[in-house]
Amino acid sequence: MSLLAFFVTQSLNALSQAALLFFLGVGLTLIFGIMRIVNFAHGTLYMLGAFVGYSVARLTGSFWAALLLAPLAVGLVGMLFEFAILRRLYQREASAFLMVTFGLALVLGEIIRLAWGPDALQVEAPQTFAGIVFLLDEPFPTYRLFLAGAGIIVAVTIWQFLDRTRLGLLIRAASQNPEMVSALGTDVNLLRSAVFGIGCGLAGIGGVLAAPLVTASVGMAATMIIDAFVIVIIGGMGSFLGSLIAALLVAFTQVFGEYYLPDLALAFMYLLMLLVLVVRPGGLLGKEA
Amino acid sequence: MTERVGITRRAVTKSAVAGIALAAVPFWPRRAVAAEPIKIGMPLALTGPLGSVGQQLKRGGELWAKTQNAKGGLVGRQIQLFIEDTGGNPADAVRKAQELVERDGCNIFTGITLSSEALAVVPKLEEWKAIFVSSDNGDGRLTAESFVPNFFRSNISAPMGARAVSLFLRESEWQNVYAIGMDYAWGRNSVQVFESEMKRAKKNFIGSVFSPIGTKDFSTYITKIRQSGAEAVYITMAGDDYNAFLAQAAQYRLPDKVQLLSEVVDLTVPRAVGDAALGLISSMRYCFRLDNPKNKEFVALWQKEYGAVPDNNEGEQWQALQVLAAGIEKAGSTDTTALRSALETVAIDDIKGRVAVRKCDHQAVQAGYMVKLVKADGFSYPVPQIIATYPDDKTTPACNKMTFED
Amino acid sequence: MLALAPFALPLYAMTLLTEALILGLFAMSLDLMVGYTRLLSFGHAAAFGFGAYASGWLLLHTQISMLCAVPLAALLAGIVAIGVAWVCTYATGVSFSMLTLAFAQLLYAIAFKWTSVTGGSDGLAGIPRRPGPFGFAAFGSRAGFYYLTLIALTAAFAFCRALVHSPFGAVLRGIRENEAKTLALGYNTRLYKIAVVALAYALGGLAGALYAPFAGFANTELVFWLFSGQVLIMVIVGGSGTLIGPILGAAFFLVVEHQLSNYTEAWALFFGLIFIAFVIFAPEGIWGLLTARFGRAGGETR
Repeated sequence: MSLLAFFVTQSLNALSQAALLFFLGVGLTLIFGIMRIVNFAHGTLYMLGAFVGYSVARLTGSFWAALLLAPLAVGLVGMLFEFAILRRLYQREASAFLMVTFGLALVLGEIIRLAWGPDALQVEAPQTFAGIVFLLDEPFPTYRLFLAGAGIIVAVTIWQFLDRTRLGLLIRAASQNPEMVSALGTDVNLLRSAVFGIGCGLAGIGGVLAAPLVTASVGMAATMIIDAFVIVIIGGMGSFLGSLIAALLVAFTQVFGEYYLPDLALAFMYLLMLLVLVVRPGGLLGKEA
Repeated sequence: MTERVGITRRAVTKSAVAGIALAAVPFWPRRAVAAEPIKIGMPLALTGPLGSVGQQLKRGGELWAKTQNAKGGLVGRQIQLFIEDTGGNPADAVRKAQELVERDGCNIFTGITLSSEALAVVPKLEEWKAIFVSSDNGDGRLTAESFVPNFFRSNISAPMGARAVSLFLRESEWQNVYAIGMDYAWGRNSVQVFESEMKRAKKNFIGSVFSPIGTKDFSTYITKIRQSGAEAVYITMAGDDYNAFLAQAAQYRLPDKVQLLSEVVDLTVPRAVGDAALGLISSMRYCFRLDNPKNKEFVALWQKEYGAVPDNNEGEQWQALQVLAAGIEKAGSTDTTALRSALETVAIDDIKGRVAVRKCDHQAVQAGYMVKLVKADGFSYPVPQIIATYPDDKTTPACNKMTFED
Repeated sequence: MLALAPFALPLYAMTLLTEALILGLFAMSLDLMVGYTRLLSFGHAAAFGFGAYASGWLLLHTQISMLCAVPLAALLAGIVAIGVAWVCTYATGVSFSMLTLAFAQLLYAIAFKWTSVTGGSDGLAGIPRRPGPFGFAAFGSRAGFYYLTLIALTAAFAFCRALVHSPFGAVLRGIRENEAKTLALGYNTRLYKIAVVALAYALGGLAGALYAPFAGFANTELVFWLFSGQVLIMVIVGGSGTLIGPILGAAFFLVVEHQLSNYTEAWALFFGLIFIAFVIFAPEGIWGLLTARFGRAGGETR
């Protein structure tokens, strides 16, 4: 493999990895930014997305249907949870949210296991993206190109959404100053529901898109949640751009680090996190110090 | 979850009461009180990442107990299984096992799922006066440096699996091999055994790489394998990591260039990754395809009960219990000391053919074999086909060791 | 009445109770940080794990008795924690929590990879309960070890109680309520925070150090983030800022998980529902429920 081919393929690998990390990280950071909630159930919601995606794909024979419906379902579950449980707790301390999202992770995780069984389930990549392209003579899966593309599309969509829509504006304002926003007469409850729902929906997208790479399995949540946290911490809690940069940073470090120093593979993310936090305690673009 | 399979407490009490009542009547012919059931503890990982393995072991145990009890039990006693969930956590495994010993009176264990759980439990066996017949733990050290007299291994171990793959490679034309394993004790140990076997077989062992547990993206590792120039790669992986690796390797068309060989595979793998598993060659610990009358009977029984063919660990659990049963019958009791000496030299002819426990390290000596995953009628996913079988003396390592004498 | 337990309870229940006491000590140590200083740690398992590995290693590779190994391991944990605390207290709020997580995960990675010392993914097994000379042999037995643990917990509790009622404790509470103000009053809040973290880690390390000879093994699960999350839950369920609450929370957590998993495979479902119920209906935790019901005993002020 030529050096150029190596760098091109590895960079694309990193981009596809970054996309998955981004989907989870951005949802988590939005939820924290607006609601000050550290959502321990985020990995479980991602997992739910994968399993619902599996079922929809089985029923309809279409991956695209799964990609559309599963995130909606996960977002709905999130909004339900917000409405039924979280809404009672906004006057309380952070520890209440910790417990309650931890509880949700347990409950939802078990429901998934009971509903779909303990075995891993196959989700096939869509026909359009199930093949390979040759990049400088090296085979590269088109699905990963699709992932990287999807990541870019979602990132741009969210950016435009935050920048140009009324809801997006409210979200940005609320993350800076929640009291002011409610004083301006916005229905903060609705805002919070929407944000939590969107955050969960994004996790659901991550789940469906990850499934062809890793299968839908009950162990998914545990392996992903810690990655999501690291992205948000490095990027700065509440910062959309931060989570994007962090996802890219972690993915590239991981891919090239694993290649050159495989023995340290386990520690890369945490070393990076430590480094960033020591230099900038609030994360790269975070507001807290 | 504690399940009592076979008989309930009420049944025991009823028969006990009946027995006593009858014994009280002087001229009534004495009938014996219902004998104390044989209590077998199974602290399984029923939930958690390896939950699907634990569930397999549970099914194996339950069907065995049911079948055995229908035949009148063992040495005139009914089998009673005590199944509990450890979640795959060694601390829970020890706690539950202890409870099974002290609260429920079990002195026999089987079905401990993870090697890490087994390694935590095994030092306590002597204190508990309990015997453990492993059906699933592959770690070589359990019959080597971590060996204790109350431990028996009925299943094929990791070194034995590595050995089968090596023997297969010897006969093949592939010269250059690479290895990838999950970065923890099992992965490292298996690759190590494989590497020394390759050197002894005068093959070119190019190198190896280890991936952390929980790796989701294998692109870097796949690149390394591809770059190594190997013709075959030895894989020691399990669970989600294995599924992800296979799915991604297929996406990169790695199998077109490099033959994938693995130490062990379950049917859950091709079910999870579908065609990505086609062409995979692996050692398997139990295969439903084994062609002998006992196995055919077993497969039919299994299909009737569960509507599917028995998987790797399901067959191994069955065999472990058959080994145990042979030991109990030979000893005539479940007394720990008697059972231990009986098991040390027990041999059975069962679903995997002839299996004989050896005294020096309590490993069950048995044949090894290799399978290839192919398309077959009646299955929607690739299934194993046996492509090579090796006699037991060639695949079992030297006593208390993880190495082989050729 | 805990002292009479060995005479009343069957053996396996004794084991469960001993483990509950060890976890209770662990949870109480975290309460010093969480309840009294509002320093939410997401990496407290590092203290426990470090203590367990340290005492386990000492018991396996040297001839010193438990009575020396355990306190030594706890001390080591505290000393190492000073360094960790110094870095973590650079930040406040969520960033502090995340730094503790980062350190814990690094310790996990080290424990996992440094096979020669920690046994790697297998951990240390067969750790002996070496009771020691001068007639302390009794501590090796089941009941004996239980008493050892009870003594350790009681001593630690007494120490913590004295600490939180002392001027030091008052400063901690000041930091909890309003750090800026406390700083303005002239206190070097960072130093106090480092001190309380080191103490919390030392006591957490003590719990871990007891665990190693108790269970006979030490492994990477003891340093894993899940364990850190669980002990945090124990503190909150029990009632943070009360010292006793977390001990009850730990016992509750252990016993309920154990019993639930005996009855159903879906135990995690009920477990999660219990937490959610606690948050909604019993925000002060178990201790809050008990004191509300039976009135405050001894005037524990928060």
